[in-house]
Formats: sequence, C-alpha cells, structure tokens
Amino acid sequence: MSHHLPTPLPHFDRALLHAAATLVPSSEREDWLDSWQAELWHMHSRRRSRFASLRLLADVSYGLVLDALWLRTESWRRTFGGTPVLCIASLFTLCSAALFLAFALNSGNHQLALHFRAIVGRSLGAAPLVIFVAYATASPSHVEQGSRIRPISWLNRKFFLFLKTLLILLFTCLISTDITHPLHSIFPLTADLLQVLAFVLFSLLGLRWAFIDQEQRCKQCLRLLTTPARVGRPSRNLLEWNGTEQVCKQGHGTLSVPEIETSWHQYSQWIDQVSEAA
Amino acid sequence: MPSATPTRLSHSAALILKTISLGYRFGLDVMEVTGLPSGTVYPALRRLERDQLVESKWEPEDEAFASNRPARRYYQVTRAGKAAALAATERYPLLARLVPEKHA
Repeated sequence: MSHHLPTPLPHFDRALLHAAATLVPSSEREDWLDSWQAELWHMHSRRRSRFASLRLLADVSYGLVLDALWLRTESWRRTFGGTPVLCIASLFTLCSAALFLAFALNSGNHQLALHFRAIVGRSLGAAPLVIFVAYATASPSHVEQGSRIRPISWLNRKFFLFLKTLLILLFTCLISTDITHPLHSIFPLTADLLQVLAFVLFSLLGLRWAFIDQEQRCKQCLRLLTTPARVGRPSRNLLEWNGTEQVCKQGHGTLSVPEIETSWHQYSQWIDQVSEAA
Repeated sequence: MPSATPTRLSHSAALILKTISLGYRFGLDVMEVTGLPSGTVYPALRRLERDQLVESKWEPEDEAFASNRPARRYYQVTRAGKAAALAATERYPLLARLVPEKHA
C-alpha cells in the first residue's frame, strides 16, 4: 500500500525517514514508510506555535527511530531467539568481555601472558574434576520415546554441549582471574587459592546451567522449547500423570516433564513428532 | 498466540491500551492525550500489537482522499485487549481518570 501525500514532507523529515528505514527489515519497510509519512504529514498539518512544533518534531523523530529499531530487534528476536547460535554467541561475548577486562587489569600483553600461564595451569588441573562432578550430579537425561536414532542430530547435540562446556570453562577461568586480581598484589597466595575456588564454584554453576539448558532444547534443531503447559491435576499426583509439557516451535516434538518422579514416569520424556507421525 | 491468562502490563502500556479503548485511534493522538513521549508510545503500540491486544488497520483510501489527507494506520482494541484493559484498570484504579473519553 503506497499513499500519496497532498503536500510533500520537509527535507529533514524525508532524510530522517530514509535513514531510519534502513534499520527496518526489508519485508516491513514499505508499510513502515507509509505509516510514518502519514504520521509526519498529520503532525505538520496541526497548527501550533513554532516552538511547540519543533519540540514535537524532535520527539516524533526520536520515536520514529526507536520504532525502526524495535522492528529490527524484534526481527532478530524472531530469527535468533532460542537458537543454539544465540547461546554460543552470548557465551563468546561474555568470554570476550572477560578477556578485555583481563587485558585492562594487567595493563599489557606481556604481563597478562605471564600471569595467565600460572592460572591456566591451575585451572586445567581443576577442570577435569569440575567436569566429572558436574556430569555425575547432573539429572538423568530424557527417555526418548518413539524416536529413531539420527546420528547427525546426536552429533550436533554433543558438539553444542561440548562448545558450551568449553566456553563456560574459559569464561569462569577469566572471570575468576579478574575478580581476584586486585588481591593478587597484596596477598598473592591467598589470591591464587581464591581464584581456584572461584573457578571451581563458577564453573560448577555454569555447567549445571549448561545441562539444564541442554535438556530444555529440541533434540533435533536445538532451539529452546516454548509454551510450557501444565497437564493433569496436582491433587491426583499418585493416581495419574501430572506435569508440564513444552513444545518445539518448529514442530519437532514435545518434552513432558513429570511434577514428581513415579515408578511409571520416572524421567522426562521427549516425544518425537516426526516418528510419531510416521 | 493469545494467552488464557490476562497479560500483565506496565503502567505506560496499560495507559496506552486504555487510551485506545476510549476511542483515540492514532499514535499522535495517543501521545497528545497521555503526554507520553513518542519513544514510549510507538514501541509500546508495536508490543501491544504483537501480543494481540490491539490490531492496526489502514483507513479507507477514499475517506482520507475526500478530506485531502493521506490515509493513516489506526489502532483498535481486540477482545483480549479489552480483557487486559479491564484487568489493568483494576490494577491501576486511577488509570481511567488520566484519560478523558473521546467524543465522536
């Protein structure tokens, strides 16, 4: 839908519209331009004092840019929301921020390299123990009902978990170094001990999150499961199944999580939609 | 997808929804009546539309053409939006007093 304006908009408005339109996703751009052209035209058509007009123009221009930005971020949210790419990118960003902080605190590459050699050695020593404890205390994985074994999906899942584990260990190593750094010049031994303790604590928490996050994802596309729905009645806990169901937005399957573990429904179940249909 | 439970809205979103439910249909009108800045109003209208509490439509071309002006996008409250506006009025009792009803 394209609308003709009875009188053209001022140059500033047109330039601003075209600049902000580049932020809007291409599929929505034409409609967005039409809406804002009409809004601006109506704004200019109302009689006001010069000062009030300028103030309103500044306000509306700000809203116009925010509206374009909202559409862009919403489009990114729809595209990347809950995807494994977003998860890995977020962890990578956290690692980069922690590394940047480490550079800033150590004021230079050489000092950082010297300091890191000792830290990495200590962290590498603690990492296998942390991974072992995290794996040993993680809740059992889902029973996959009616799903055929897909080697590629299985490999993707394991690779994703491996990447998350690696980035979490790297981030916790860096952040534990950053937070104990101020203490290092005064009590070096205490700082080293605290760094290892902080690394162990943070990485255990981080790996715990990684396992929970892994369980909350679709077994095929690895997107986060959505629309949790309560099924069953809590008052009949021991008589019939009661719990929460979450679905994959792409329609790959359903995860049913029991409210309490019972002998007939001990673990969460992943019900593969494709296999069910076949 | 509209949810079964009424959506909890922030005060400004509730005010905007209430304003639209009282008959102010355009973004500029909502700005003027509520006194909220456009940086709050327009993104909030988008969010309300995404949550299916309001829907937007284009004015008929011929109607706008007859008045020698471009057609505008207008907003109206959906059924879920009416329920949400009602819930918001209960949550923020002074909301109804902030916006005068529009007379046609």
